[in-house]
Amino acid sequence: MNTNIGIHAANYYLPPQKKALADIFRDEEMPSEPLAAAVDFKKDIGIEAVHVAGQETAASLAINAAKNVIQSSGIDPLEIDLIIDFTSIPEDYVAPTWSAAGLVQREVGAKRAFATAINTGGCASYQTTLKVACSLMSANEHYKTALLIAGDKTPEFNHNYYPITVVSDGGSAVILKKDVEKRRILGVEVATLGKLHDIWVIPGIHNRKPEDIGGKYPRWLHVCGDIARFNKELIPMNLFMFRKVMQGVLKQVGKKMADVSYFIYPTFSAWDLKAFQEAFNVPKEKVFLDGLHHGHLQETDMVLDYVDAIDAGRIKDGDLVMLTTNGAGFSWGATLVQH
Amino acid sequence: MKMPVGILAAALRLPSNHRSAEDLFREETVPFSSEVAARLGIKEVPIRNGESGSDMAVEAAREALKLAGVEPAQVDVIVEYSILPQEYLVPVWNMSNKVQGDIGATKSFVVGFSGGGATNFLVALNSAAALLQENDALKTAVLVTADITIPGNRVLNPHYPITVLGDSASAVVLQRGATASTILGTELWSDGTNHDICYIPGGSLVHPDNADLYRLELDQQRYDAFPRKDVLHKLSHSLLGRMNLSLNDVSTVIYSNISSEDQDLCQQVFEGKMSPVCASNLTTHGHLQGTDFVANYLSLIANGGTKKGDYVLMASHGMGALAGTSLLQC
Repeated sequence: MNTNIGIHAANYYLPPQKKALADIFRDEEMPSEPLAAAVDFKKDIGIEAVHVAGQETAASLAINAAKNVIQSSGIDPLEIDLIIDFTSIPEDYVAPTWSAAGLVQREVGAKRAFATAINTGGCASYQTTLKVACSLMSANEHYKTALLIAGDKTPEFNHNYYPITVVSDGGSAVILKKDVEKRRILGVEVATLGKLHDIWVIPGIHNRKPEDIGGKYPRWLHVCGDIARFNKELIPMNLFMFRKVMQGVLKQVGKKMADVSYFIYPTFSAWDLKAFQEAFNVPKEKVFLDGLHHGHLQETDMVLDYVDAIDAGRIKDGDLVMLTTNGAGFSWGATLVQH
Repeated sequence: MKMPVGILAAALRLPSNHRSAEDLFREETVPFSSEVAARLGIKEVPIRNGESGSDMAVEAAREALKLAGVEPAQVDVIVEYSILPQEYLVPVWNMSNKVQGDIGATKSFVVGFSGGGATNFLVALNSAAALLQENDALKTAVLVTADITIPGNRVLNPHYPITVLGDSASAVVLQRGATASTILGTELWSDGTNHDICYIPGGSLVHPDNADLYRLELDQQRYDAFPRKDVLHKLSHSLLGRMNLSLNDVSTVIYSNISSEDQDLCQQVFEGKMSPVCASNLTTHGHLQGTDFVANYLSLIANGGTKKGDYVLMASHGMGALAGTSLLQC
């Protein structure tokens, strides 16, 4: 793969309205199944409040992020050859028939582009999208600039993703370009365990009857986690799969774990971040921890934490940065970016 | 020089149950006439009889792999191109994960694409070819879909029927180093102003609990206004130009099966080169989203409609939202 493709710019948009976790726990159902980790979900999560979109649509979060990144990068929207939506939860209209990619194309004026969406990977959809986008740009000489966008708006009263996290609303956008010297994407590794496909789902409207709502399922569009399977089948595999994708991408590019200068990891919870650090011997100064104050932003965690880490001076020229995460499906992804 | 990527095998899974277009129009209280019948050119469509779309997709994937002589454990990536709503809501869930688990593609990862109607198949084809060509560790891909129509929503745009939707699943095996049906290139273009020309308004964040709106809708005014002929002409000539080829070099065109009226337009753009199998499959299958291409490709091969070295162009206007063309060399 052409390793001169890089992150030309990245940015995000967070709706200004916030909701305290205490209010979310008051307003939303709390499953009674026990956690696999020996923690108090409410007290130990490390998140105090999340952003809520209110009247803003999911697509508008992505559009705002796209406009932010186009403005901050100074590119002309007519340069954009390819737009990929990597949103991981339901959008304004039903997928896979619709995605926000075309709407973003219209709103930013990227008239030359083709627009599509990658609808796999959950919170790891960013890694899958980077792998596809870099491959498309590498294989096709005429694709020189790509815009990746996401906009996640959680349905009201569905911010509590027990036993994993509490989620925030927001959007993110990334511009990839060819022939860059900095922030080069050296490699991307993605792995999926298909047998876990139905642990974390929203039943399709085909599979729901109106009488199920409020009974079998809490509300329309709400995620349903099989917590017993989550504890029994996913948790034992999780760190193994993280190791697999991180070692995989390091091997791809001929690097070692010790060469990694900085890690971007999702902000699911304080205990999950700690478990990652302990499992992979990552000192706290080498992983971005500040993102917890936004709550978990699905796949946008990867972009927001990366942008904030650069702005905070944690990532410097010459650093080798590992972005790694997992997501529904279940998927794991790891990307190496050379600054 | 980059190794070519080509189609090793493909499989189609259609339910054995069929219903006539006339019956479906009656059931959905849409007036049926000889004028409508002639404009659509659809006599009947396959309709599932209890089987799930994902199970049909798993069967199609297994059959395609068997025909290709590839073990599931050799598959490196599974790429989904479904367009209609699935058993669980996308993008939280994706059928490709289930296919991976059920066929035993243990070393694979999955990726799925949304939007663009039948053109989503060309997006998947282009992306899979790029993944195989640009990543040394990836050699074999399975493209897969299952599209099951929303009950009572088979006649698209009842006021002026555009097509009749059938149920289907299909799968295609691609491999780097294949020596036949190689993918030479793809050209894609979206019109963002048409992002909602064909969409399902209900069951979404905008209309979460209005089940009456859970229907595939088409904005006919914008559909009619979309310059399908011009866009298909421009994209195909751009693609062929990149290969130093012209339409004269193309032996056959494979097109989506929306209606006779739409296929007539294709014949005008491509100077009568659309394969007769497209009209034939339209008559018996109706519109099957991206599976139209798989059905037409398989019929073309089965009918001996190509010979070694022939160029086959695939084209779709994606209902006006995402148009595309791909070029294969047999």
